[in-house]
Amino acid sequence: MNSNKFFSFSRFYQLLRNDILLNYKKYLLTIVGGFILGFILMFTQMPGYLFPGSIGFDATRYNILFIMCLFGLGAFVGSAFSELSSKIKMSNYLLMPASTFEKFLYQFVIRAVVGTVIFLFIFWLDTHIARIAVLSHMKNNLGQLAGPEKYNYIEKFHFSMLLIKSKYPTVTNWRLFDGIGSILLVFSLGMFLFSVKIFFRKLGLIKTGISLVAAIYLIMIIMMCFSHLYYPQTVGFNIANIDYKLSNGYDNSEIFLYSIAYIAPLFLLPLGYFKLKEKQL
Amino acid sequence: MINIQNLSFHYKKKSPLFNDFSLKVESGRIVGLLGKNGAGKSTLLHLISGLIQPKAGKINVNGFVPFERNPNYLADVYMVPEEFAFPPISISTYVKAFSPLYPNFDHHKLHDIFNEFELHPTSNLNKLSHGQRKKFLIAFALSTNCKMLVFDEPTNGLDIPSKSQFRKILVSSVTDEQLVVISTHQVKDIDTVIDTVVVIENGTIIYQENIDEIAQKLYFDLVPSLAGIENVLYHEQCTLGQRIIVPTSNGNESSIDLELLFNAIINKTI
Repeated sequence: MNSNKFFSFSRFYQLLRNDILLNYKKYLLTIVGGFILGFILMFTQMPGYLFPGSIGFDATRYNILFIMCLFGLGAFVGSAFSELSSKIKMSNYLLMPASTFEKFLYQFVIRAVVGTVIFLFIFWLDTHIARIAVLSHMKNNLGQLAGPEKYNYIEKFHFSMLLIKSKYPTVTNWRLFDGIGSILLVFSLGMFLFSVKIFFRKLGLIKTGISLVAAIYLIMIIMMCFSHLYYPQTVGFNIANIDYKLSNGYDNSEIFLYSIAYIAPLFLLPLGYFKLKEKQL
Repeated sequence: MINIQNLSFHYKKKSPLFNDFSLKVESGRIVGLLGKNGAGKSTLLHLISGLIQPKAGKINVNGFVPFERNPNYLADVYMVPEEFAFPPISISTYVKAFSPLYPNFDHHKLHDIFNEFELHPTSNLNKLSHGQRKKFLIAFALSTNCKMLVFDEPTNGLDIPSKSQFRKILVSSVTDEQLVVISTHQVKDIDTVIDTVVVIENGTIIYQENIDEIAQKLYFDLVPSLAGIENVLYHEQCTLGQRIIVPTSNGNESSIDLELLFNAIINKTI
């Protein structure tokens, strides 16, 4: 088998170079726009005043901000394969001298890998700059705040804050599973936006979003059908409440969610690749 | 070389465009692919480029199956489509971005063609007129030195001097290893460059002949009237009289009126 038919480093490098030469302005604008929007979001969300009994800005608040910002990353990942949005651009894209695998991989590298790294850096930078900006103007209800009280009020952001901590402190060896599970859940959603987009031509991101909602509803309908099948007492559109805890302390619903998160990319990425391979004008 | 055997193709929910279609063309030729609107010319170009997959039959181009989109095949085929879009970048950036993907790209040739077409590398592609952008695309296509060049209506949008420049550049830059397929309605624009005529109608080849063979068989003339002329295969009235096609006699050869020939073929008189 001639591996050059599937992957060549020099061709892959040329594809990356080609994409950057053609789109560097768009990428720079996205980075700058993302940075400014992120800063505005954080600056407005961080508390500028200290009231007696008020709760500080901690990991929970950062988690909420992070999830909000993830929509931006989702939009960037979902804007992959923009060349497939029109027949003219698609023709150029499909005839570019590179293998389908290389064309799929370079989009993945730029959108999912580099995009995520830059997103994390921008998020980190925004949290720190916004924190400094807010703290420099922060006042309590009586006057200017000073000292450690002020600096502890808005915690300094670090990435470990994003890992969902286990609800079961006794099962410490499973904390990593929680963290990886939540990361993979986000990754799965990203790969859904990345791969399913290839199926659509116009308004791809919107259609992909709609199909994601449809997929979630489909799962719920299947669950509802199973509920009626195995729990005849289920009424109407309800899903039978069959939560139970496993011996490792996890809920069965958590295991179900994580299983989808672990398995989905294994299907979504090949699905996208083969759809691109079979794509016709 | 293009070798198509028993090709069948239809678009979704449409009647068959090609049914048991076969075509063989050797390298070193400039083929004029002619046909009426909807005859399937552009579809055939898309099939041989690998943009669409045949429903049945085999297509082999230079030893490759086009729809497999082998990168080595794609590096040796360049298609100039009828409609095109460019990113908002300069000509030089476009060349810098795309030329490394074509291993045989000739920058000197590109520079020469730019001079001929009066194109400036610093110009922004999206600020050029349609004709200028088409000239750029033609220049780029010829500079790739791909073994197969496919042009879909290449002279659409070109002004009169540019059409003659296109013919001149095409003839001077194509080598014997290359195969050029030109699909067009503007037959007069390419009548001096093509050496093979292929006419398709309703998904079948109704005419395939080399220019030399046509010149040996048919004589094209302009006569005041048809009176006294025997064996007229086809005629069309014009302001100066009648344009006619008659069988060649006594070895006399004439320049080929491709438009007249095309009309004669379509009207089934040849």
